[in-house]
Amino acid sequence: MLYRASKLGLSSCPCCQKLNYLAQPNARCARCHTQLSFRKSHSQQLTLAWTIAALLMFIPANIYPIMLIYKMGVPEANTILTGIVTLVKNGLYPIAAVIFLASFIIPFIKIIGLFFLLYNTRRYSNISRTKQSQFYRMIEWLGPWSMLDVFVVTIMAALVNLGFFSSIEAAAGLSYFALMVIFTMLAAHSFDVRLLWDIERRNIHV
Amino acid sequence: MNSCYPPHNWVACLKCDTLSVLPPISPGESAICPCCGATLFSRKKQSIERTLAISTAGLLIYIPAITLPLLSIRALGVYNEVSLLQSILLLIEDEFYLVAFCVFIFTLAVPLVRLFSTFYLSLQLKRQQITPSLLTFFRSYHQLDHWGMTQVFFLGVIISIYKLLTMATLTIGSGLISLFLLLLCSTLITSTLDHHYVWEKMEQALAISRE
Repeated sequence: MLYRASKLGLSSCPCCQKLNYLAQPNARCARCHTQLSFRKSHSQQLTLAWTIAALLMFIPANIYPIMLIYKMGVPEANTILTGIVTLVKNGLYPIAAVIFLASFIIPFIKIIGLFFLLYNTRRYSNISRTKQSQFYRMIEWLGPWSMLDVFVVTIMAALVNLGFFSSIEAAAGLSYFALMVIFTMLAAHSFDVRLLWDIERRNIHV
Repeated sequence: MNSCYPPHNWVACLKCDTLSVLPPISPGESAICPCCGATLFSRKKQSIERTLAISTAGLLIYIPAITLPLLSIRALGVYNEVSLLQSILLLIEDEFYLVAFCVFIFTLAVPLVRLFSTFYLSLQLKRQQITPSLLTFFRSYHQLDHWGMTQVFFLGVIISIYKLLTMATLTIGSGLISLFLLLLCSTLITSTLDHHYVWEKMEQALAISRE
């Protein structure tokens, strides 16, 4: 029989993992003085809010160009998707695949996945909890990798500054893209996986 | 006072809240949650010494990694080189404040704070001088753990090399090598720093000093 710590009034510190008895609502960890709570506070609302914000940012990030390439003084706008198409045309398949994964597929999976996990904290689903928490850990781990395109454009814009012949500049879409990545990371951090196990417990006991 | 705390070998999984009794684990082993399979604790070998050595190396390589040129480009008789710091300054010049801020925080500030806090922490633990301010340092390390992006930036440099190879001559600068070493150091710290050991050590020391 496995016991949940919160059933016994115990809460593990989110920072140092020490178990504390949580008597008053605003208690602090005896070891590292981090604020304690049984579950992350307002986890569902915050996750939903950040995920919606990320979804909204996903649209302008893909519509507006992230990079302007000047060749002989003529600007050519590149969005995330047209950039990938150009890479494929030039035959750079592995790079195209990495960029496509990091800046399109992963953010998309993260946003959809968070909505899915959030829904599962409200409605009981038959997918195993272990699978779902593995999925969550994957989302958390993938977080920073979506920043890839931001860094690539940063380096290329700084490096390719060859005057009239050729230069690269960052464009408006990049800011939206960076915001989208930060929002998905915040959403993943405010989600509390333990809620998934709570709903299972409630379902079995009812 | 200790009677109001649960037994110190009880542990609750941060991912599914299952209570388990922590078995004695020797250095190099990990304890895994019986319910969801997440790692509860892992013991590391010679944690403090290794962390001290690696974080010192990381701090030494930090300045070269951000100031030396990462890449240089030569095309049509024009030459240009760029370092991490310069690329951020150029973003500010072009009025991309948000992107500049992101790059600054994720590739400069967070790695530095992580390196410095682990360096200070392992140094003070080695010297057996544990003060309450160390708690703040270790907490800041925990908070920033997910936000360091040196590895992503490094991959970004590699990808830009491939993208630009078709249109110009590129040379890898000494900054890129330093950046790789910095990345190595910050990755190694994650695998040498034994969180559980450090927290327990600090708890004991602070409890003694309070008495």
